[in-house]
Amino acid sequence: MDEKGIINSVSTHLIDKEQSLIAYEGPFFIDLLTIFGNYLKIMTENNTLIQKKLFKIYVELSQNVAYYAEEFINLENESKRIGIGELRVTKDSAQYQLMTKNLVKVRDANVLSQRCDIINNSALNDLKGLKRELRKSSESNKLGARIGLVQARLISNNPLEFQLIEKNRYYSYFKLMVKFDKNEQH
Amino acid sequence: MNNINFERNPSAPYYPGIKFNAETGVCEIEGESYMEEAYKFYLPLINWVKEFTENEKRKLYFNVKLMYFNTSTSKCLLDIFELLKKYAAEGGQVEVTWYYDPDDPDMIDEIKDFERESELNFNIRQLQS
Repeated sequence: MDEKGIINSVSTHLIDKEQSLIAYEGPFFIDLLTIFGNYLKIMTENNTLIQKKLFKIYVELSQNVAYYAEEFINLENESKRIGIGELRVTKDSAQYQLMTKNLVKVRDANVLSQRCDIINNSALNDLKGLKRELRKSSESNKLGARIGLVQARLISNNPLEFQLIEKNRYYSYFKLMVKFDKNEQH
Repeated sequence: MNNINFERNPSAPYYPGIKFNAETGVCEIEGESYMEEAYKFYLPLINWVKEFTENEKRKLYFNVKLMYFNTSTSKCLLDIFELLKKYAAEGGQVEVTWYYDPDDPDMIDEIKDFERESELNFNIRQLQS
């Protein structure tokens, strides 16, 4: 990286079939997410369609952790809340895989898994309608439009893979994987 | 009424560039938009559009040149389009032009979604690099 934190070129040579592009655990600061995002853009710059789709899915997934993770740090006199979690981006010969993992309340975990099921079982056109409906009904002064998962499903054209891992009576880990096919065409 | 000017900053690319001109009625948003707490960034812009449509009552040109925006931003943009829709319904003149990135085929779908939701007719043009 140069002084401004911008990656100029990346060269990798790995024998493994699956290549890890990003592995991170900690607070999801926006500036850190931007550096990771720039890295992903550089790694996919030879295919702008993949570059755009991968970046969009990456931002939605990582900002879900930043906004909603139950483990977090407070900044600026406790007015700003930054979620803590895990992020992994890997690729193999056929796909990119984006994984996030963060703590959620048990009662929210049930809502999240129901939401993922609805998203996975909806047809494409129904999903677009659901996206419009959720966006319109979401409150403007809240953190997000609550359509990040729908957007990730629409862009990736693959089901959301999720897992709830119990931590204790009150909290579970929500692990989310979105796969994006390299040969995906619009 | 004041203008709003916000320059893009390479070290914070998640904020778009903003030019809202009260004299000409031309509003422009460009770049990328995926900041934290989007509503805090967009609230002054929403209030500006509200003030212009309530007090100035002249033609408003709204030009979107966003290469990328996250779903939180999309909610804020929808709030602006709701105001423009109301203004147009009351007889105000509004011209929305959305410049899309030709390398991003999903963007056209997004624009058409906004057009349907806002019930405004958009001029859709290719962004020149």
